[in-house]
Amino acid sequence: MDVIVQRSGGLAGARLTWEVRVDEQPDPDEWYILIEEIPWGEPPPVPPEPDRFVYRIECPPNEATLAERQLTGPWRQLVDRVQEATDPKRNAPLPGDPREASRRRPTR
Amino acid sequence: MPQIVPPYLLDRIADAGAERFPLAAEAARRSLLHDAPRRALRGAPPIMPLPRDDDELPTVLPDAPSTPDRRISDAGGRETLPGRLVRREDEPATGDESVDDAYDGLGDTHRLFDRVFGRDSIDGAGMPLEATVHFGRRYDNAFWDGERMVFGDGDGEVFRGFTDSLSVIGHELAHGVTEHTAGLRYQGQSGALNEHVSDAFGALVEQYALGQDAGAATWLIGEGIFTDEVEGRALRSMIEPGTAYDDDVLGRDPQPDHMRDYIDTADDNGGVHLNSGIPNRAFALAARELDGFAWEHVGRIWYDALTSGRLGRDATFAEFAAETVRTAEARFGAGSREARAVERGWQAVGVPGEPSEQAAGAAAE
Repeated sequence: MDVIVQRSGGLAGARLTWEVRVDEQPDPDEWYILIEEIPWGEPPPVPPEPDRFVYRIECPPNEATLAERQLTGPWRQLVDRVQEATDPKRNAPLPGDPREASRRRPTR
Repeated sequence: MPQIVPPYLLDRIADAGAERFPLAAEAARRSLLHDAPRRALRGAPPIMPLPRDDDELPTVLPDAPSTPDRRISDAGGRETLPGRLVRREDEPATGDESVDDAYDGLGDTHRLFDRVFGRDSIDGAGMPLEATVHFGRRYDNAFWDGERMVFGDGDGEVFRGFTDSLSVIGHELAHGVTEHTAGLRYQGQSGALNEHVSDAFGALVEQYALGQDAGAATWLIGEGIFTDEVEGRALRSMIEPGTAYDDDVLGRDPQPDHMRDYIDTADDNGGVHLNSGIPNRAFALAARELDGFAWEHVGRIWYDALTSGRLGRDATFAEFAAETVRTAEARFGAGSREARAVERGWQAVGVPGEPSEQAAGAAAE
C-alpha cells in the first residue's frame, strides 16, 4: 500500500510530494492501524486562509484534501509519519495528471 | 534534505546577502529625507492624510510619519497563536531580527496605506497590526489567518526567514485589506486576484519605502527570502512571471504570464499562487508604461477598484480588469494615458478588459 501526501499552496505556491510504501516500512502494522483510524471523507469544511498550505492525502482507495488547520489527530499523525519516513519531491508531476507532466512554458 | 551546491550557483547568488533590506531601506530613507520638507522630520506635527477624492495627484512624502499600532508576538517555534507578546508600539528594538523586521515592515506597510490611500490600517479604522514570528519549527511559510500575519523561520536550506522581505510583509498585510474590502474569495480566479492584489501592494510597499519609481523597481516579490544556495532571485516576478527562479531543487517558477497559459488545477485552492502571474504582469506593464511612482497611478487605480464596492467576491479576471479600467477613467479621465495604460496592460496578458460603455467605441481587439 502507498501513502502519498502532497502539499500545495503556501506563500511560495510550491508543491511538495511525499510518497511512502507502507509495506517497506519497519512497522507496517502501525501504519495500517493509523490509516484505519482516519475518518476518510469526513474532514470538516473550513474556509481557506490566504497563503496557508493545502494537503492532499492519497491512500487508495481513499483520498482527502485538507486545509492546514484541519490537519489534526490521526490526519496529523499520518502526515508526520510520512514526512519523517521520506524526503519530499518538489513540484513533482501529479499522478494521473498528464497535462501537469507535459505542461511546459512556451518559449517567449 | 541535504543538497549539493553547484559552485556556479554560489557565485551567482553571492551578492544576495548584500541586497538585504534594512540597510538599503535606511539609505533610501536618508536620501529621501534629505529632500523632504523640514516638517516631515521627527518631532514635527504629523501631516494630515490626503483627501481620498483629491483631483490632484497626491504630493506624497515617502517618509511622512503615520501612526500604526503594532503588536509583535513570538510563537517560540510552536504552532500556537498568538504566542508571547514581545514588542508593542513605541517599544525599542528587541534585538531579535525577526521581531524587529516584522515591526519595521508593518510600519512601512501602514505608512503606504495611510499616507497614499488615506487608509488607517487594515480596516481603515486604525485596528492594531498584529504579527507572530518564529511560528513552527523550520516552517517554510508566511500567511494571514484572518487576524494576524504569521511568519515562519524557513528551513535554512531553501528559505531563510520570511520577515526578510518587505514585499512579503506587505503581501500578508494586504490580504487583510482585501478581506476588509472586496473580500475576493480565495479560490480559482477570484483567489488568484486576491493573491495578485497582495503582490501588487506588497511591491508598492517596497517601492514606497525605497522611493523607487516604476522603472527602477525590481517588481520582485520575496527578494531575499531564498538562501544563497537557491538559484533564484525571488518567489515571483510581477513583470516577468515564470522567471523568478530556476533551480535544481526548487524546479522552475511555474507562473503563467498570459491567459493562454492559465493553469486549471485543484491544488493550491485552484492555482491561486500560479495564475496571479497574469494580473501581476498587467499591473506591472501598466506601471512601467506610465513610469513615475507606481503608487500614484496604478496603485491608486487598483486601490479604488478594491474599495469601490462594485467587485463581486467571485470576480473573474475580466471583471476585475473592467473595474480597474473604470476606476482609471473615473480618477484620471476617459482616454487619459493612465486609463489607456491599464487597458493595454490587460490586453498584453490576454484578459479582455471590457471598457466602460462610454469608451466602448474606442476599444481595441
